[in-house]
Amino acid sequence: MSTIRILASDGLPAFLSFLSQKHQRVLVPVVKSANKRSVIFEPWRAGMPVVLEKATVPPKEAVLPQCETLLTYKKSKNQEDLGDITVSLDDTPEALSTAIFACRPCDARGFRVLDRPFLNGLFPDPYYKARRESLTVFTITCSSGCNTCFCHWVGGGPSSPEGSDVLMTKIEEALMLQAISPAGEALLKDCDLPDGRDIFPRAEAARKAAWASLAPAPDLKQAPQKIAALFGNDDFWQSQTSGCLSCGACTYLCPACYCFNITDEGDGFGVHGGRRLRSWDNCMSSLFTHEASGHNPRMLKTPRMRNRVSHKFSTYPENWGTFSCNGCGRCISNCPVSLDIRAIVLAALDNAG
Amino acid sequence: MPVLNSKELRIVGFLCNWCAYGGADTAGVARAGQPTDLRIIRVPCSGRVDPLFVLKALLEGADGVLVSGCHPRDCHYAAGNFYARRRLEVLKRFLPVLGIDDARFEYAWVSASEGQRWQHVVTSFTKRIHAMGPAPHFDDAKPLLRVADMALTALRPLGTAQNAAVNELKQVIKDKLPELNCVIGWQQGYDGAHATPLFMKTPEDVDKLSWGPFNVMNPAVYLPLFKGKKTGVVVKGCDSRSVVELLQENLIKREDVIIFALPCEGTLDIARVNEKLGRYTRINAVAYDEAGVTITADGKEHRFCMNDFAQGKCYGCATPMAVLADTRLGEPHKVNPVSSVPPELAMLDDMALSERMAFWRGQMERCLRCYACRNACPMCVCRDYCVSDSRNPHWMSQDADINQKLFFQTIHALHLSGRCTGCGECQRACPVGIPILALRQQIARAVAQLFDDYKAGLNPAALPPLLGYEAHEKNIHERDWK
Amino acid sequence: MATKKTKNARAAEPLPKNAVRNCSDRPMPSGNPYKPAVATVTEVIHETAAIKTLRVVLDDPAVMAAFHYEPGQVGQLSVFGVGESTFVINSPPSQKKYLQFSVMQAGEVTAAIHRLTTGDKVGVRAPLGNFFPWRDWRGKNIFFVGGGIGIAPLRVIMLHLLERMADYGKISLLYGARSPRDMAYSYEIEGWLHNHDLDCTLCIDAPFEGWRHKVGLIPNVLLNLAPDPTNCIAVLCGPPIMIKFTLQALEKLGFLPENIVTTLEKRMKCGIGICGRCNIGGRYICIDGPVFTLKQLQALPQEL
Repeated sequence: MSTIRILASDGLPAFLSFLSQKHQRVLVPVVKSANKRSVIFEPWRAGMPVVLEKATVPPKEAVLPQCETLLTYKKSKNQEDLGDITVSLDDTPEALSTAIFACRPCDARGFRVLDRPFLNGLFPDPYYKARRESLTVFTITCSSGCNTCFCHWVGGGPSSPEGSDVLMTKIEEALMLQAISPAGEALLKDCDLPDGRDIFPRAEAARKAAWASLAPAPDLKQAPQKIAALFGNDDFWQSQTSGCLSCGACTYLCPACYCFNITDEGDGFGVHGGRRLRSWDNCMSSLFTHEASGHNPRMLKTPRMRNRVSHKFSTYPENWGTFSCNGCGRCISNCPVSLDIRAIVLAALDNAG
Repeated sequence: MPVLNSKELRIVGFLCNWCAYGGADTAGVARAGQPTDLRIIRVPCSGRVDPLFVLKALLEGADGVLVSGCHPRDCHYAAGNFYARRRLEVLKRFLPVLGIDDARFEYAWVSASEGQRWQHVVTSFTKRIHAMGPAPHFDDAKPLLRVADMALTALRPLGTAQNAAVNELKQVIKDKLPELNCVIGWQQGYDGAHATPLFMKTPEDVDKLSWGPFNVMNPAVYLPLFKGKKTGVVVKGCDSRSVVELLQENLIKREDVIIFALPCEGTLDIARVNEKLGRYTRINAVAYDEAGVTITADGKEHRFCMNDFAQGKCYGCATPMAVLADTRLGEPHKVNPVSSVPPELAMLDDMALSERMAFWRGQMERCLRCYACRNACPMCVCRDYCVSDSRNPHWMSQDADINQKLFFQTIHALHLSGRCTGCGECQRACPVGIPILALRQQIARAVAQLFDDYKAGLNPAALPPLLGYEAHEKNIHERDWK
Repeated sequence: MATKKTKNARAAEPLPKNAVRNCSDRPMPSGNPYKPAVATVTEVIHETAAIKTLRVVLDDPAVMAAFHYEPGQVGQLSVFGVGESTFVINSPPSQKKYLQFSVMQAGEVTAAIHRLTTGDKVGVRAPLGNFFPWRDWRGKNIFFVGGGIGIAPLRVIMLHLLERMADYGKISLLYGARSPRDMAYSYEIEGWLHNHDLDCTLCIDAPFEGWRHKVGLIPNVLLNLAPDPTNCIAVLCGPPIMIKFTLQALEKLGFLPENIVTTLEKRMKCGIGICGRCNIGGRYICIDGPVFTLKQLQALPQEL
């Protein structure tokens, strides 16, 4: 049996401080109070209040930052021969060793979705790799479903261990910590928390109860084929897309979306040199595929939505054997017009043509 | 930084080629001494000065910005400075809401022959900036989070529109449907506590139409997409103002749009509703009464009284019924015409400049640049060609820093000067709850103060104030540079 | 101290069959795939008003000497401070002195490329993508159809095949442009016309004073030429509208979809199959392409 520890609620700051000795940053969910309250992952500092809620924004930032520098470049002249110019490039990844504390199983599975194209593709991504390999994921299991989530439709669940190093379950005011990966194992062995093996059955029971709270899931096995077959059915996609505003709320809040843009900033070869940035990009934007010639294969929002849904439920599975949607439901609950990707997938399954 | 004197500050001057630049030249030829803090950028006309030039300079570290051009009535291009005067005055009144001291920005009229006046203007402005010292930066501010007080009194009774003539409206729409491409409205979304837009094409679609406090989206946002196709739209009072503004700007044609209206009794602030509901697995029931709704989630009842849980904009709403409509059914509640400050703006009004800067620092940090604010805005019609994405001109970088994020909000707000109807969709759409509506509200307030209480989207025939000018502006007075 | 992690469990996951791309025969850059090799522009050729050809040499002589690519592979050419764009390497692989790119001015990066002069520094990420399956074409006749800037990828494969003439049957080229002034490689065309191994036809859209060659749109000229589809591979490249009608013409002439080959382009950023914009269904032009047969394209969603 894997290592199991128990963390009392008052022991949380000490444990986070233990984690910060092992990592350069520990990301924890904190409340950002506003009229519309949000929960965001932020680097932990002593005294910071932590909430064990599902975050508004998943901790994807830990491996794929909103914006990062891929390269910096600088030009230098040989003072003896001014025609002799050298360009120096620095491509050191910005990679802090990171622990994520208290993300949800859907968030942790998001890292697995990203791992496949970034690590297992034709070209492993060195920036992603550097961050991913120094990442430890502490996941807290959900005690129930929420109104928009559907993790159990797509292979996950409220206590799915996939992508996690340590799985935590809340029992009354304490947390039971269960090592999942060797890294999690090593960390838990190293910490001075008391053994929690005797409360494991209670955690098991809580996890079962969470599963039981979920409505039965539809069978999505046919989804990849059905959605692919619907490609040419403009009426279908039109009817599913008419309300879409083409904003990026769904993609930027998705733990499994990873499209990005690369842009150059700075003054090129000027005194300050320049930077090549990678930033999140949004496939729902018309500019995403807009070519310099003016041609745009996905000019309208209908083909863009079709591409987004197809990528999650058809083409990513075609390439990697599993959905690139973890059912976290953030795209639904945060959509300004309450579009529901579940409904689109179900409609596709129902569609006879 | 200058070699001899490191006490210099960074002041950017945008000078019109024909007057102010000439004036500076005249001063130079006359050997009139001038402070050297000013970095002059020559522009063809003060009308060329986009307020964003000023903001970009201030956000990127300028300690002061001076715009100078020909005297009113003396513009080389006849009217450039008249337009500039309106824009720059609005900008001046906008800066404080961000936490930027408006004394750091000034505009002045100097003719090519007025070397002495130029010397005087630039010297006194530089003195002023020196007295203020280097400008504080958003990066350095300590994030401040504060929640607006939502204990508000509405200008009219808020309710759930239980008596609205929805069925009659459905019949009217069905009758009109054959001549329309579609009719935009609302239907129930993924559960009883969420609505989603409805595009009615068949009578069966019309039967799905819902009316009530969950109809938060503004359907006017879709109208420009249907340009040239005759389209119907069901509106709340606030939505109708967006339709009117679109008409004012010729972005849609009156003959292409059929407006259906019912009196609105307010909409719910879904964010605050969600906060009270907490995490729940499913909604069992939503029950309405005159004053509010009761949502049963996971078997537990939660009561939401409209007076306590309406959207911020609803409390100050003076247009519960569409200001323009082809079909109006029912009578709205009477509005008690008291002017009120919207909640977030009131909160900012109570803060010191430094607190406002800290506030925006604390808010903008979590912006994801998803542009839901922009795309939910019915007035943001250049969506796919937004300056935020433009590489030429290159207004913004992709850096995820406060200045870039806040700069976009100021772009959005300034582009909405005199156009924003306050529908609040930008703020509602924000997934991380940044109270960006306050920036638009501040501009709307400035516009109302400057231009005879002008409010966008009330009169289809009215010219938006920043698209026009008066040779003599009643409320814009020249600064005293004596 | 950072925790050291074992990632074996992650690598062990079996991949679905269609995810496994057979790229073993493909030259690929090693190291950080986002890091360009710094190169120097050695020559700029003004082809037409809108097209310039750049010859660049990688600054590291060892890398340049070892640089190997197959005809049809592309490179990401970057102007530092502006950005990157994808272009085919259109010099034949036998030519080891420089890499040649032909660039039509269209957007921000191409405009910056057009401003480059000899001695300027650029970045090159190459070779990327697949290539023309020229080894499988041995013993066959090859018919090239190029329109406008679409001649660039054809140039490299055509020159490559002409060097191996003994292995192939008849090699023909139909090259069309709007007007004689819009023809790239004009300095080479005379040589192509006189090359006995190559049957070269030129056409322009509208009559032009002094034009000795054909006048007409490419699909019509192609129908008149009526190449024999038996044992023949048609390779085409050009603007989308030309591709569309030329495909119709080729089908009319009896070419089978598996014998029609084209090379595609889309907006690309990463060039390595991740960033998500150049996909057609589940295939990515940057790694599964740019070279496709019509048969392959017909099996994909129609989203070009």
